[in-house]
Amino acid sequence: MAKKEEWNSVTRRDVLKLAGTAAAFCTSFGFLHGSQTGVVVQDKHLQARWQQAEIKWYAGSELLNSSVIPVKVMKHLQSDVDATVEIKLYRAGQLLRSLGTIQAKH
Amino acid sequence: MEFHLDRRSTLSFVCKACGYCCTGKIIMVGPHEVLGMSCLLGISTSEFLALYTDNGGTTLRSEADGRCVFVTASGCRVHPQRPLVCRLYPLGRMIDETGVERFALYPLQSECKAEVDREGTIEAFLKTQGVEPYLEWSRRYGELYRRMVGLLDQLCVQGKFDAAATGATESADLESAGPEQELDRGPLSLWQDIDASLAEYCTAQGLAVPGEIDEAIALHCRAIAEWLDDLESRIGEVRNDPEEMREE
Repeated sequence: MAKKEEWNSVTRRDVLKLAGTAAAFCTSFGFLHGSQTGVVVQDKHLQARWQQAEIKWYAGSELLNSSVIPVKVMKHLQSDVDATVEIKLYRAGQLLRSLGTIQAKH
Repeated sequence: MEFHLDRRSTLSFVCKACGYCCTGKIIMVGPHEVLGMSCLLGISTSEFLALYTDNGGTTLRSEADGRCVFVTASGCRVHPQRPLVCRLYPLGRMIDETGVERFALYPLQSECKAEVDREGTIEAFLKTQGVEPYLEWSRRYGELYRRMVGLLDQLCVQGKFDAAATGATESADLESAGPEQELDRGPLSLWQDIDASLAEYCTAQGLAVPGEIDEAIALHCRAIAEWLDDLESRIGEVRNDPEEMREE
């Protein structure tokens, strides 16, 4: 039991409990953006899937180059399971050919 | 996502219980929803939080393939007590800065078998989903949340929160709480655990623990409000004496 005079102050434990409860309620009720409630949120598996995506260039079976996909492209594919991205090959500003379409759900 | 719909907007949604919508989602749960589901399963909220939640007790756990932990081949195991977000789906709901309620329609997953049309209204859809008690509890917990943010704001203004966050004593507290995974598994706050927090409160107050869900939630809100009353009075006193914050 705390001494009477200790109740006249705020302890660090109080602050931690307050911050923890506020954080929990913020997340549980979706209060993060104003008073928003009841939002079924992002498809976290879609996000994780595209975070690991890479583009690889091959000459036969030899890997020539590998790079992660650009952030803007990744965010678009993560945004919606029905999102699509077309890849097109250009030279000197002129379209040579379309290399195909990537669907977020792939 | 645009929240441009209201209760008069047209919507009809017939769920075919295909389960696709229950996959790959983060299902947020409040303490009152945890209580409802734990009662249905015949376990305590403490057990429920440990077994079925992640992210500090704020979201339902998912299986490795992304399915909600409660989805089975025959449907949802907690359907009669399912959380608000599940009842609202495919809608999202928010209260904008002017206090007006708005809704957004989420794009359905491509495999979803549900029938979506414009024959009814959002109002009628919400009635079929029994959302009103959940919205009322969200509103009441929201009021408590705003008081918490107000208190934290006061503490920050005084520089107290920063001081506490960098203090040696608090570092030791956090370390003793265990690795990150353990923090993630356990609830962020005892207040998320209605059974445990009400047991403590009722013992201190000499009250009987309520048996009904609605009564328990009401008492839970009252207990949190009294805790905040106490903190507000103490913070008021601290404001007059900036050196007063102590370590426990």
